[in-house]
Amino acid sequence: MDPVLADRLQFAFTIMFHYLFPIGTMGMAPFVAAYTWKAARDFDEESARIARFLTKIFAINFAAGVVTGIPMEFQFGTNWAAFSRRSGAVVGQPLAMESMFAFFLESVFLGALLYRRRRLPSIFSAWAAVFVCVGSWLSGFFIVATNAWMQHPVGFSIAPDGTIRLENIWALLFSPFLRWQFAHVLTGALVAGGFVVAGVGAYYLLSRREESIGRRLVRAGTIVALVFSLIAIFPTGDDNGRDVTAYQPIKLAAMEGLFETTHGAPLAIIGMPDAAGDHLIDPVFVPDLLSFLAYGNFRANVQGLNAYARELWPPVELTYYAYHVMVGLGTIFVAVAVLAVLLLRFGLLWNSRWMLWILMLMMPFPYIANEAGWTTTEVGRQPWIIYGLMRTAHGPSPTVAAGETVFTLIGFAGMYFLLGVLFLYLVLREIGIGPQEI
Amino acid sequence: MSVAGFIVIAFMLTTYVLLDGYDLGVAVIAPLVARTDRERSVAMASIGPFWNGNEVWLIAAGAALFALFPAAYAASFSGFYLPFVIVLWLLMFRGIALELREHLSSELWHQFWDVAFCASSVLLIFIFGLALGNLLRGVPVNPAGYFQGTFAFLLNPYAALVGCFAVATLAMHGAAFASMRIEGELGARALELLGQIWWAVLVFYVAVTALTIAMRTPLTAWWLIALPALSLLALLGARYNAQKLRPTATFAMSCVFVAVLLAASAATIFPYLLPGFPARSSGISIFQPPPSAVALSCALVVTLVGIVAVSIYSPIVWRRMAGKIRVE
Ligand code: HDD
Ligand code: HEM
Ligand code: HEM
Repeated sequence: MDPVLADRLQFAFTIMFHYLFPIGTMGMAPFVAAYTWKAARDFDEESARIARFLTKIFAINFAAGVVTGIPMEFQFGTNWAAFSRRSGAVVGQPLAMESMFAFFLESVFLGALLYRRRRLPSIFSAWAAVFVCVGSWLSGFFIVATNAWMQHPVGFSIAPDGTIRLENIWALLFSPFLRWQFAHVLTGALVAGGFVVAGVGAYYLLSRREESIGRRLVRAGTIVALVFSLIAIFPTGDDNGRDVTAYQPIKLAAMEGLFETTHGAPLAIIGMPDAAGDHLIDPVFVPDLLSFLAYGNFRANVQGLNAYARELWPPVELTYYAYHVMVGLGTIFVAVAVLAVLLLRFGLLWNSRWMLWILMLMMPFPYIANEAGWTTTEVGRQPWIIYGLMRTAHGPSPTVAAGETVFTLIGFAGMYFLLGVLFLYLVLREIGIGPQEI
Repeated sequence: MSVAGFIVIAFMLTTYVLLDGYDLGVAVIAPLVARTDRERSVAMASIGPFWNGNEVWLIAAGAALFALFPAAYAASFSGFYLPFVIVLWLLMFRGIALELREHLSSELWHQFWDVAFCASSVLLIFIFGLALGNLLRGVPVNPAGYFQGTFAFLLNPYAALVGCFAVATLAMHGAAFASMRIEGELGARALELLGQIWWAVLVFYVAVTALTIAMRTPLTAWWLIALPALSLLALLGARYNAQKLRPTATFAMSCVFVAVLLAASAATIFPYLLPGFPARSSGISIFQPPPSAVALSCALVVTLVGIVAVSIYSPIVWRRMAGKIRVE
């Protein structure tokens, strides 16, 4: 196998698997913190039951996130040594911040949150939950800072031997690309958190047990899901798209399947890109809309893929489909959440079993949307590993053979299969047992 | 500033070994001291709230190495590729065992994870020791600044001896921690076992120290005598306190022993991060390639602020969880 391909497959597989768990951590942490607070402050038994139940699921999710995160941190060195050597002085900074400022916070306070002697959580536990939440959001921030720099490098200079030197760390931490990317990533996780909580609640209502708790979960979950599905589109998704337009126009063209540079570019709602034949097969367009979304002007000029040499194109099909899956699902989330909140508002939700079914079945889809979003971002960045500075093909470790990577990739696949099965089994089992008496 | 960077990394790795060392050590001795399923649960519970925070020291040291000395980070992790990925798998397996064991109350489930937990921990310690041994011995770095470690090269007798030494030492360290944290008969048994492991530690200690001095360093500097003498004192102190049934003091002595040994290793390697083989001078030192001042100072500030913050809030949190646990 081509060594670069082997490394890319391994990275893509391990990061996409890892990312499943941070979605849950960042999205559920505020729920855990909120219920723990309520239980500790109001001596409320039912909130304490919910808090303990969510904390259990959270802990399983967290453990899976930790064990899959450890290989990520070191893969830059094992598999991408040339990349690390050249850019480590920059890329290493936010990663070091993540460990020092976020991972310690999360792991020390999670230990405290899980270690509980009393029946009701104490104020100390409530604070611990808050710190766990802050820690997980911070780790999201720093890791996205790393990624945002790879998308749009800032605050650096290039030494005579080609290594990339750090000039200004604040430029990196306040990079224009980072702002909206982080806001959007966090929003995506909260959409997932909302739908998962609502889905679990819907399951209890459908199976007619724990109905009071079920209602509380559905109510909180759908409201969070509604608010953040809206924020996912506007402003965060919209502004993220503008940043891509400004800094990576070729990615935008691939995302939208726009082959020709056009004034008043249309937005393709559906259609299948034919990268070889340079057009969308069987498209449905909304005229001029893409120009408006990208530049706020219906007649603006949007650059198409043909404005660039082919060797600079990202894989068009994957970028295009991943983007459309994310946006399509995002639209569906808004529709579902609006409907659910309306039913809730008029007191009809508890009798609308069909809606509860929909809420329960929604649970996996925010995960798919999040993964699709990252696929758009990362695949659309190709052929660059650092946009405009370094090619992905020049990133892998010179001393590691493709055969070794294939071997470790198979090992990771086996390990993650086992972990995935165990994770699902244990989480579903906890949901089956339900919130216990305390 | 490069020197400060070296010290910070050495400090973080030492802290890692001191902290994660005890939970790895508890895993090694658990099957020897815990006889019933319930006792093994208690052994695991004694480290339950701590192990993840301890392991972050390793992750943080890796990230700090990345930010401070990217060339050494790139060369070492890609050079030790397979051993390193195996370490990652073992770390994962161990984490899974620790976290998932208590989720089901089936005895078969427990037995499986007990064995997985112990085996992965022993192997991890051995490989860490092996890596340390190879650092002390030196690794072949090519002119482009990379090296490729074959298993045959890495598994040399000296490094394997260091690996065994590491297993014995951390078993002792873990026994000291267990006796401090666990009440009753189980804690007492751990202290008793410590007395037996101690002899193995002593034998390995003498062998490794003698070989290292013979191989690497003529006895010229004062610290080459002072540090081994200090560590020997700490080792004797551990035994003395164990016999007096003072678990906390035993654990403290064990910490001193491990810390001094690691300080001596760091001093032996300095100023290299990856000493060359057979000639040290061919390795990657902290000055080569010349690091960038902005990156160094940024990473130093981040790690130092982080270390201070962690050292403030961790003890506060730990105090809330202090006290002994017991077998019910
Ligand atoms: C539940 C999750 C979710 C939902 C509903 C959406 N997104 Fe998204 N999107 C993500 C989750 C996500 C993500 C996984 O979090 C990404 C990957 C990287 C990033 O910055 O966020 C992402 C990336 C991403 C990018 C690529 C940024 C880049 O290439 O750097 C754009 C342009 C958008 N999104 C825009 C949108 C729009 C216009 C949406 C309207 C429906 C939308 N997203 C819904
Ligand atoms: C900040 C965090 C991230 C960093 C630093 C990062 C960095 C990288 C690197 C170094 C590669 C290898 C080069 C390549 O194959 O293109 C890569 C590829 C990739 N990453 Fe990311 N990534 C991050 C986050 C993510 C996340 C969260 C996901 C998805 C869940 C993701 C998905 C991918 C995929 C799918 C590829 C393969 C692209 C391809 O092969 O065409 N990345 N990323
Ligand atoms: C290449 C990129 C990545 C690396 C190197 C990485 C590294 C790690 C590591 C080492 C851990 C374990 C921390 C511990 O022991 O406590 C972890 C957990 C975590 N990561 Fe990642 N990660 C990456 C991608 C991401 C992304 C893209 C996000 C979110 C946007 C993220 C968010 C988290 C969170 C919230 C946790 C803690 C909670 C959990 O474990 O689920 N990570 N990561």
